[in-house]
Amino acid sequence: MTEYGKKLPFRFMECALLTLSTGVRAQSVRELRTSLPHVPISSIYYHFWGRMLRPHIAESEFNNDFASWADSGLGDMELAEALSAINPVGCSDLGEIRSILEDILDARLENGDFMSWKKSDREFYFIACTKMMFDTGREIASLKDFPLAVKTSSRQSFFHHFIDGRRRSPEGKDDFTIWLEQFGDETAVLRKSLAAIDSYLFSLGELKGQVVSLLEKNLRGRGK
Amino acid sequence: MTMSEMLKQYGEVVGFHAMDSLMVIADMLRGKKIVHVNSTKEGGGVAEILSSMIPLSKELGLDVSWEVVEGNPDFFACTKTLHNSLQGMPGGLPERQIEAYVETNRTNAAKLNDVLEDADYVFIHDPQPAPLLGYFPNRKGKWIWRCHIDVSSPNRSVWRFVKKHVEGYDASIFSLPDFAQPLPHPQYLITPSIDPLSEKNIALHKSEITKTYGELGIPMDKPVILQVSRFDRFKDPLGVIESYRIAREHVDIRLVLAGGGATDDPESGEVLARVQEAAAGDPDIHVLLLPADAHRTINALQSGAAVVMQKSTKEGFGLTVTEGLWKKKPVIGGDVGGIRLQIINRFNGFRVRSPEGAAIRIRYLLTHKWKRERMGVNARQYVLENFLITGQLRRYLSLLIALNSSGGEWERWL
Repeated sequence: MTEYGKKLPFRFMECALLTLSTGVRAQSVRELRTSLPHVPISSIYYHFWGRMLRPHIAESEFNNDFASWADSGLGDMELAEALSAINPVGCSDLGEIRSILEDILDARLENGDFMSWKKSDREFYFIACTKMMFDTGREIASLKDFPLAVKTSSRQSFFHHFIDGRRRSPEGKDDFTIWLEQFGDETAVLRKSLAAIDSYLFSLGELKGQVVSLLEKNLRGRGK
Repeated sequence: MTMSEMLKQYGEVVGFHAMDSLMVIADMLRGKKIVHVNSTKEGGGVAEILSSMIPLSKELGLDVSWEVVEGNPDFFACTKTLHNSLQGMPGGLPERQIEAYVETNRTNAAKLNDVLEDADYVFIHDPQPAPLLGYFPNRKGKWIWRCHIDVSSPNRSVWRFVKKHVEGYDASIFSLPDFAQPLPHPQYLITPSIDPLSEKNIALHKSEITKTYGELGIPMDKPVILQVSRFDRFKDPLGVIESYRIAREHVDIRLVLAGGGATDDPESGEVLARVQEAAAGDPDIHVLLLPADAHRTINALQSGAAVVMQKSTKEGFGLTVTEGLWKKKPVIGGDVGGIRLQIINRFNGFRVRSPEGAAIRIRYLLTHKWKRERMGVNARQYVLENFLITGQLRRYLSLLIALNSSGGEWERWL
């Protein structure tokens, strides 16, 4: 038995994100601001994280739907940039993200130069979601087998562990990193590299490719 | 868990990890009885989806069946009016049609009593069989109304009529948020899909494509612009002919309009006649009325086309767009409904709002071959990631699990 026998295994979860209509929509910044306090908190999650699991292309300039709509729907680049500067992982919870969004919209509406009445020809639909996590029972105990296990996980499972893990962790760490911590210095470089991946600038497929590549490079021949 | 031959075939397309994931979720519904009900076995997107989804569900070990309501011409005239009105056509429902609608559902409810009463989950597709719910006050399971139609701007009086029949459901499903209407139950958003293993979407050898074109009397001597759709006013086949005529002043092309009939669409003959009249005398326009099961022929037509069009003025989702994209064709589509979700301008096609707009995009694609090819590659990948039957089934099954899982929390660990 090697030292790895004492380590906790990594348990893979499956995840499904079901999207729901809230019936709430906005056509202007003022309508967006007025609606924001009343939509379910899962709507904030969907418009920041859920976008990763729905049809989209990688070349999205902005990291959340509010910013994308401000740009493409309203043509308000200044507002889009402000909204895009929100770092959701740095917020304590979804309520804090909602408050920051409200502050940014208030500031924009208070700007005298701004045409707050301007209507978009494309409405913003607030979408809520239900996120379900299923235990697959699949466990991996060794570093050696870990890259292949991540590579062969579904995109939803990868989303849950890598992208959403950063939200659930108080320190903003993904599930893979948290598991790798028990191996101490042996995985320190790898963990640093994983932390450096910006999860908002790539599609899910691209992110998975980057993570798997790092795992393969760093864990090849390691462990049992 | 071992994978059957069919599941392996899907795995080779979508990835084995995706199939493993689907099997995990399906396993949670083992022993539950699931029934789908719609109004036609063939013709149209709903029948096609169910033709693939039912065998795939069975292969995953699920107890699933598909029932079709039977009706007379008055019933289908009514449901066609319902369909058009929900897509915004003004007017009301004639009393005789309403009577046929209610009566047909009553007789079908009696016929399907044993199947539906004890089912754990019932999917009712579109407005045609929607009143069935009212005949099952002692139903055991959860009933879901699946609306495939663009009801973003419905004829209000007709929507009120339909709403009366659907508000009692446990949940509804719409393809896009734009389509959802105020209802007293959760409204899920799930896009439809295509089956990569179906006759309509499998890869064909070039010789078969050439042979099919030959058999249909369509020379492959110039680029083919193709629209495949039912002869329905909202598919705008006359607008496609106009686009072709504008574009032809600059590029030498052929136009193929291929449509099938569906047993629940009594209007298609009238629209077809108008299309044939508009195309008369032009040897480069080919109007084909194909049987509902001509899936392989449609596959060959799409595979051999240079550009695929779907110039709809109203569209629930537009599976012919998905089919074209899957075959690496950039698609020119109307800027409506589900086409907006599928076509990303300059990435995998173009969204247009007029025959003139479609014509300029035809010219652009035919004169920029490398862009056309690049967009075609993007197109297939986009469908692979988002609009295949395995993904849609995964979402349906997750929804069923969600309906029966306790608690109102948005994050649920099962």
